[in-house]
Amino acid sequence: MTAGGRRVTVFAKSTAVSATPVRPGKTYPLSSLDHLMGRHTLHLVFYYRPGPTLDRDGLKESLSEVLSHYPAVTGRLNRGEDGGWIVKCNDAGVRLLDARASVTLEEWLGSASAEEEMELAYWEPMGDDPSIWSPYYIQITEFEDKAFAIGLSCTHMHADPTCATLLVRAWADSHRRACIAYAPFLHPSSATFRFSDLAVKSLLADLQPEASPFSALAALFWSRIARAAGVPPGPGDLTLVVDIRKRMHAPLPHGFYGNALHFSRARADLAARVARVADELGRHVAGLQEEEIWAAAEWAHDRRQRGEEAFQMYGPELTCFALDHVMAYGAAFEEGEGGRPAHVSCRVGGAEGEGLVVVLPAAEEGAARTVMVTLPEEVAKAICRDDAILRYGPTVMFVGRG
Amino acid sequence: MPAAPLPEFSSSVKLKYVKLGYQYLVNNFLTFLLVPVMATVVLELVRLGPDEILAIWRSLKLDLVGILCSAFLIVFAATVYFMSRPRPVFLVDYACFKPPSYCRVPFATFIEHTRLLNLDDPKSVQFQTRILERSGLGEETCLPPANHFIPPNPTMEASRAEAQFVIFSAIDDLIKKTGLKPKDIDILVVNCSLFSPTPSLSAMIVNKYKLRSNIRSFNLSGMGCSAGLISIDLARDILQVHPNSNALVISTEIITPNFYSGNQRSMLLPNCLFRMGAAAILLSNRRREARRAKYRLVHVVRTHKGADDRAYRCVYEEEDPQGHSGISLSKDLMAIAGEALKSNITTIGPLVLPVSEQLLFFFTLVGRKLINPKWKPYIPDFKLAFEHFCIHAGGRAVIDELQKNLQLSPEHVEASRMTLHRFGNTSSSSLWYELNYIESKGRMRRGDRVWQIGFGSGFKCNSAVWKCIRTIKTPIDGPWADCIHRYPVDIPEVVKC
Repeated sequence: MTAGGRRVTVFAKSTAVSATPVRPGKTYPLSSLDHLMGRHTLHLVFYYRPGPTLDRDGLKESLSEVLSHYPAVTGRLNRGEDGGWIVKCNDAGVRLLDARASVTLEEWLGSASAEEEMELAYWEPMGDDPSIWSPYYIQITEFEDKAFAIGLSCTHMHADPTCATLLVRAWADSHRRACIAYAPFLHPSSATFRFSDLAVKSLLADLQPEASPFSALAALFWSRIARAAGVPPGPGDLTLVVDIRKRMHAPLPHGFYGNALHFSRARADLAARVARVADELGRHVAGLQEEEIWAAAEWAHDRRQRGEEAFQMYGPELTCFALDHVMAYGAAFEEGEGGRPAHVSCRVGGAEGEGLVVVLPAAEEGAARTVMVTLPEEVAKAICRDDAILRYGPTVMFVGRG
Repeated sequence: MPAAPLPEFSSSVKLKYVKLGYQYLVNNFLTFLLVPVMATVVLELVRLGPDEILAIWRSLKLDLVGILCSAFLIVFAATVYFMSRPRPVFLVDYACFKPPSYCRVPFATFIEHTRLLNLDDPKSVQFQTRILERSGLGEETCLPPANHFIPPNPTMEASRAEAQFVIFSAIDDLIKKTGLKPKDIDILVVNCSLFSPTPSLSAMIVNKYKLRSNIRSFNLSGMGCSAGLISIDLARDILQVHPNSNALVISTEIITPNFYSGNQRSMLLPNCLFRMGAAAILLSNRRREARRAKYRLVHVVRTHKGADDRAYRCVYEEEDPQGHSGISLSKDLMAIAGEALKSNITTIGPLVLPVSEQLLFFFTLVGRKLINPKWKPYIPDFKLAFEHFCIHAGGRAVIDELQKNLQLSPEHVEASRMTLHRFGNTSSSSLWYELNYIESKGRMRRGDRVWQIGFGSGFKCNSAVWKCIRTIKTPIDGPWADCIHRYPVDIPEVVKC
């Protein structure tokens, strides 16, 4: 943060409504998995370079068009008879914030801290009255050079990053026809590492060419974080979060709206070489059985039946989130190469404990990946200086308390 | 058992035929008189024979001078007669502003914003919710972007932006429909009651469309929701003085600066009912426009009840005790509207009603004065004078009151109710949205007469009578184009939110 002033100013709050009215009377109850996510919030930020059709009013128009297809997003949460949450599709709209940043996009990407990135995705927690509280907040921030950042914050009960990203993609598609990145973390300290295609390929060459970029990066970060945190070498546990839309026997469509994540525990020997760890992780992810997924869903359901509250899903142990399948960079608001996002961030609010590692796609195609870590302060500092990670030449961004 | 209702039925049928017979007789009285007279003349001529007719002709002793003088007198009389007739004013076409869907205000959003802005006054929120539920508005009415902010942001810049948006869209539409060239506009009349910047809105239009420097422009402000017909009246009067001219009339109401931020109940209604809208109308007195014009203006009748203090104060803009300015509506608004309507009808009745109705009204009036004051006053049947009615969509109560007073059927007030549902109360432009509804439904035929009734602060009741001179074929382009197939819609008494 620059001395004295804030670089981002929110100057207006309004409500964006859908272009066509919602048929009255539609409600849908949140699933057990949705309820489990109650403590968490989701924040995505999509950065866009300046373009001829990128302007605030145009964006608001195309947002209205897109909201017609998402009656759940413009609804409000009410308590149902069993005490659980129900989304009442009452056509109330989403909260829209207008903001301005006093720097250019490049300056921002180069210098902003994690806490500052939080300012691009406005969020208000639920107050006393959920029926007038919008579960979605969308912020449109304009930079000095007419670049835009679109911030989307929502309660994790409503959506997981995949479907939230799809919402932004649909918005972008609608805008292009008429003419999205990482969410800020709300956690102690975080940093973003952008690995180029060559960097990831060279990592894979070092470890194991058949490994997937996700398992390679996850293994690398896990072992370095464990070392920085002072964990004694030996067998360790990692919570893995994967999207289950396509893993079921009857696969869910990519457009499935709601939470479709599976949390599982992977075990590996941290004393071994990173290549072995990557191998273990890769095998774990590939070996996820559908029965396990259903068992977890049933557990979630039983918990809710018993009336227990939302669970701390992200934490307390180190959690690693595989999001690199999400086609976030497909959310292009303009035609041509310049329309694709310059960068996408994703953070999860309410994560606690040892930390969270999120592997996302990067702007560059191919094996390039962006890894966002949120860790206790000392560990985060150590990781930013860690040689084993820096050898692959990642760009380090958004460092700081977030 | 079945025998009992029959006498009633047959008696009402008999009464209906008696009424019909009476109407035919009285309304075509002259024809009935003329037919026997002409028959007698023809019979006489036939009886006299050609020689006798020639003899009568010679006996008149007409010579050249006499014939020329008579001819001259006839021509002179005819010229005076034709010159003294008012120039016909044609409505070539009109365009209404279609609000964009992102300006939509669903009930849930309106109530939510009201609650967020009035966290410490739940009673006010409840009151506004009740008004909205019973208002007859639908979920697609629109407010300008400035009113979507929490709190609303009524800057002068935002008001100008709304004015430019609604007025220029309507004019662009009109230009596209009629091929009008801006340089051909001779007269410009704009009416917008609550927003009157300097330079005026008419100057804003002159600037945007580069109108001629000798344009006759007028800007009417502060005249309320009936100002649309006042503008038409003004344009008509000017068209009498200037031959071969086009007049562009713009009727609108700018909502942005008029959000009431207090909690006086009498002032909260406009927030709940007023919505964005504008209409651009092209009038002309050029003969060649008669070929493609839609309507001809027959009458404009203006009634002003401002001399009565109660009527003057019934719609009053003032500041509430907390200093917020708003428009206060008094409780006897409906009663005053009814009285103003009666005055207006008294003037317009003799101009439009067929003789049969006027005679009945006259005899009933004479009877009440001379014979028995207890006779019920005869309400003339205006359905005989007009095929279509456009009643200002000021609110559900206004339409209900007029339907009762004029004894109109639900079909006659359908245009008004549906306009209120789809567009809300757009003030002076609502009459044009209603006319567009009737046209979009394909109900407007050549020869149909339309009665537009506007009410507004003052208290004023203004009427305009148009005659359709060209059957209007559907589908037509306009604000109803994408939703007319969904109408008419059943509007419940109370919408539960």
